[in-house]
Amino acid sequence: MTRWLRLTSAGAVSVVVVLSVAAFAAAPARGRGTVPAAADTVLRGRFLVISHACGDCHGGANNPAATGWLVGMTTPQQEFKIGPCAAAPQDVCFKTRPRNLTPDNLTGLGRFSERQIFNALRYGLRPGETPDVEITSGTPGQGNFPAHPKYLAPPMPWPSWRHMPDADLWAIAAYLKRGLKPVKNKVEDSEGPPDFWASEYTDAKIGTYPAPAFPTAMENR
Amino acid sequence: MEVSLTAAPARLALMPGGPATDVFAYNGSVPGPTLVVREGDRVIIHFHNGLSEPTTIHWHGVHLPADADGSPLYAIAPGASHDYVFTIGAGTAGTYWYHPHPDGRSGYQITKGLYGAIIVRDPHDPLPATLTEKLLVLSDNRFHPDGSLDLPDPDSPAGRVDMENGREGDVLLVNGQVMPTLTIRAGEVQRWRIVNASAARVYRLTIPSQTFLHVGNDGGLFERPVELSEIVLANSERVELLVRGSGAPGSQATLQTLAYDRYIPQTRPADWNRTRDVLTLRTATTPPLAPVTLPARLRIVPPLDTARAVATRVISLGQGLINGKTMDMTRVDVSARLGTTEIWEIENLVGMDHPFHLHGFHFQVLDRNGVPVPYRSWKDTINVPRHETVRFIVAFDDYPGKWMFHCHILTHEDEGMMGILELK
Repeated sequence: MTRWLRLTSAGAVSVVVVLSVAAFAAAPARGRGTVPAAADTVLRGRFLVISHACGDCHGGANNPAATGWLVGMTTPQQEFKIGPCAAAPQDVCFKTRPRNLTPDNLTGLGRFSERQIFNALRYGLRPGETPDVEITSGTPGQGNFPAHPKYLAPPMPWPSWRHMPDADLWAIAAYLKRGLKPVKNKVEDSEGPPDFWASEYTDAKIGTYPAPAFPTAMENR
Repeated sequence: MEVSLTAAPARLALMPGGPATDVFAYNGSVPGPTLVVREGDRVIIHFHNGLSEPTTIHWHGVHLPADADGSPLYAIAPGASHDYVFTIGAGTAGTYWYHPHPDGRSGYQITKGLYGAIIVRDPHDPLPATLTEKLLVLSDNRFHPDGSLDLPDPDSPAGRVDMENGREGDVLLVNGQVMPTLTIRAGEVQRWRIVNASAARVYRLTIPSQTFLHVGNDGGLFERPVELSEIVLANSERVELLVRGSGAPGSQATLQTLAYDRYIPQTRPADWNRTRDVLTLRTATTPPLAPVTLPARLRIVPPLDTARAVATRVISLGQGLINGKTMDMTRVDVSARLGTTEIWEIENLVGMDHPFHLHGFHFQVLDRNGVPVPYRSWKDTINVPRHETVRFIVAFDDYPGKWMFHCHILTHEDEGMMGILELK
């Protein structure tokens, strides 16, 4: 099981979280208490997608002009191998595959709502398997949180990125749905355990959302 | 045609030589009695629910009034009786089946043994009446050593896998029997009607080293036979095949089901690619029969006119979801006008196959992923493979009311992968 996705996020709930991933710029001013216009939301989403390195796995690196920008896996080298795939092939080895994030109806996110994408980023829930409903709880079986959650395959770092403010996650969803051209690219389903990683994504392993109050025993005020 | 059907608990020997199993049975047998009717027949079924839970009987594929369809909206209480009354439409000769369809419990009740076949006969059937006819109702199940059904707690790991894949059994049953033997004479042509009554297993049927003629689907015969060496039969689909006795007198062949990968990787069974035997086909020692002559054209299947379609509906299938939603008995998902023709575009967004069933109406598949289907037929259930699109055309010519459409993997259906069409 990979460990690099176990990023520790610091900071209190209402404070912008610092992420230890690629080029993360300071969040720009959040406006003056107004809801951003749709175009601004899409641009905000674009900034977040670039700065959170989505393209490193999903295609196009950091360049929205690149062919293959966010179209998902196009070569086997983009598969992410989990487990002793080479050393001990007889042991469990999963290959997970970056999905097509463009709004193509059949192979991308075209038929998923922005709310289903939000739920994927906030709760790690697979959009094709999670109803298009508002989730109000992180406890399975409560507040529309599925009783048997099926999580996105690692290394998708949703346990870190879920700490972004709501507006930022909505902005990412808006950019993926409205700011990208649909590209047809069918990616095979990721492999994984039959519990869809539920035993990996426990509070004990990935922390809680929201994060514990500042300061914890590890932190200084 | 007037019959009485009772659904009630029973104890039957399903495993050869094994202990008996507590089942639910229609009139004491698994499968239930085969209902044989003719086009134009008025059918009256006096049904009694002898179970301790609500049930219904859904007459899968039969075109009938919505309140006779046995949908979850019309549950029959435990101990209650109900008369199902409907008339068999002209041109609907074919092979159908009946099974329970109560809210959230269809899979359980069918797995317990409630299923049976319906044969609708055409008074002017174009196939020679001399053909021997065989009905094969395919099912599968899982048993504990004590004979009881292996029905894991839905919240257990095994139960979650059943939920995901649909519940498959390692014991394959043909008309309730394990590995039966059918006899055919050398040179003889038999007409096989095959029903996939399994909860989730998709069959890919073949008889090694021989071909057969595919002559019909869910809603009856094609215009012309199609020669095949294997055929995929998803849940609730039916086919009619003409099988020729091509072995030497006294020889044996096996009807097998080949591997068919309908699974997502997370829950794909380890032995998914195993070929399984379904039945033995023995060639009789009696002298060969002379070949029969088949009509060049079986019947006319008039095409529904796409120019008349007043709407194109997109139905997106997620895992356990239709258009991002789970079933709500109080919600109408699609409203359509009686007397209109529509095109439905069924998109499968996820990594496993979903067989899609529309209640009450036969449709004609137009294309798969934009590629026209090679021959026209009447269907009520169509498999939609992972990340593929199937388009069909349907004429809502009759019968207002609320109609279900759903995935026919029974665990998916019971979990809410279903929607409601209202015709007004």
